Amino acid sequence: MPDQPFSTRLYHLTQRQRHWFFIAPALIILLLVVIYPIIFSTGVSLFRVTFASQSRPFVGLQNFERMLGNDDFIQTALNTLYYVVFSVSGSFLLGFGVALLMRRVTAGKELLRLILIIPITMAPIVVGLMWNWMLDPLFGLVNWFLGLFGIPGQTMLAQASTARMTVVLVDIWQWYPLVFLIIEAGMATLPRAPFESARLEGVSSWMIFRRLTLPMLRPVILVALLLRTVDAFRTFDIVRVMTDGGPHLTTETLSLYLYRTAFTFSKLSRAAAGSILMLLFIGLVSALMFRYLYRDVEVG
Amino acid sequence: MRVPTSERILAYVILIVMAILVLVPVLAGSITAFKPQIIWVSSPPTWIFEPTLENFEFVFFTRKGWVYLRNSLIISGGSVAVALILGVPAAYAFARFRFRSSKALMQWLISLRMIPPIVVGLPFYAMFLYLERGLGIGLRDTFPGLIITYQTFLLPLVIWMMRGYFAELPAAMEESAMVEGYTRLGALWRVVLPVVFPGIVATAILNFIFAWNEFFLALILAGNRTSTLPMTAGTYIVRTRVEWGNLFAVNLIIMVPVIVLTIILRRQLVKGLTFGILE
Repeated sequence: MPDQPFSTRLYHLTQRQRHWFFIAPALIILLLVVIYPIIFSTGVSLFRVTFASQSRPFVGLQNFERMLGNDDFIQTALNTLYYVVFSVSGSFLLGFGVALLMRRVTAGKELLRLILIIPITMAPIVVGLMWNWMLDPLFGLVNWFLGLFGIPGQTMLAQASTARMTVVLVDIWQWYPLVFLIIEAGMATLPRAPFESARLEGVSSWMIFRRLTLPMLRPVILVALLLRTVDAFRTFDIVRVMTDGGPHLTTETLSLYLYRTAFTFSKLSRAAAGSILMLLFIGLVSALMFRYLYRDVEVG
Repeated sequence: MRVPTSERILAYVILIVMAILVLVPVLAGSITAFKPQIIWVSSPPTWIFEPTLENFEFVFFTRKGWVYLRNSLIISGGSVAVALILGVPAAYAFARFRFRSSKALMQWLISLRMIPPIVVGLPFYAMFLYLERGLGIGLRDTFPGLIITYQTFLLPLVIWMMRGYFAELPAAMEESAMVEGYTRLGALWRVVLPVVFPGIVATAILNFIFAWNEFFLALILAGNRTSTLPMTAGTYIVRTRVEWGNLFAVNLIIMVPVIVLTIILRRQLVKGLTFGILE
């Protein structure tokens, strides 16, 4: 409406765009604390920057090549994959199972749920330290318990063959309750009618589970898997206090390796390149899961 | 759902075993905090002893635990306050105004959840370093520095959770207030916020827990002046031995407030932990 006075048009413009007044502060801070660091990291990864030297020659993609050609990087990437596969599937199956069992109990349900979710409220570093104590070869409760059955003391965290699985088990211990909570919340929203009619028609519980429960829970299952994958991929705290990556890098995750590359060995650009690779990878994985998720849920 | 008795008994047995697997390490570890030093590492574990508070005294006063507790409170409280101040208005706009980019922006906010902390922590360290050297602005090892950094994981969550709470309210609420002469902001402040207050409390508590338990970013960006409780837990491990009693005293100081908050919050927990994607 060009014949309106400028002030009126300005008023309408601000009315139409008023949401930005509310959103802009948060958005600016997020761009500053999330997007800018990623751009900064990408920039740093193209140069050779260390904390020690002042000169920063441009090296192109050399840091990325070095990283991808580095045995330790590949090893820790594979370790991370191992964590993701076993911790996600382990916590998922256990969490799902507990959610199913929870539907079969009545008395004491609240109390059981409250106890079961304690681990997710604990700081991962506290969980790691606590299990160090449980697993101590000399006085730990685990070995004391095994000893009752005549099994000699084990040094699970010191042996390459068992350290990785032990850390994964502790991670599962902490996070399966999250899957349980998500699945339980999802089950609570399922409509009753299809289940009741299936039961009336004498469909077996296994078939009801496979043909009704699982498909209807699909979006919820995806959310649980997505969250667990993203978290397992960044595992740091637990490993840092339980094994610090040892023995011989067998438990070292990407986060821990990149942390060390930057802060112990002061190779900032190399670590930046590694972290960008890490971001690209998890970005790709979660984009695929996201797409799968958005196909049938309306989000936002 | 009608459940056969045998099935129910089996469910109880398994769930009780799972509960024991949670309680045994948590409780057995925690009581170590009350053991005198000579029986910290006795094997088999000593169950009956005269409880003492000397570990807490040592951790709290001799090792300056109260300073770390204060730091943790300042950093967690401060970063939650900032996240609420920035996030609540944004959440309100996402819930109330229809605009073209809203959906894309909300999805972008969830996608921030996938970014590994190292990807943000590393450049933050470098940026703080360059700011200090270049402009003389010291943010490393300061409360504002950490509070800003923590927005990377708190702010998106605050917006998502609060948007859910705002969306539950009828829009007619502000509209009638605005007819009565309130401005949009006035209506938000006087009419909507009081109603949505329980949601704000729940959001604040959950975000507080995340900030309270945070370890990685603090490890990189905090220092002597701003060390948090989770960071000090690691200091009770000396190369050759661990001061278990003291360590579990610290663990308890970290754990107990969160468990209490969780009990208060348990119904809102899923919403927060899943970014409300499930709604």
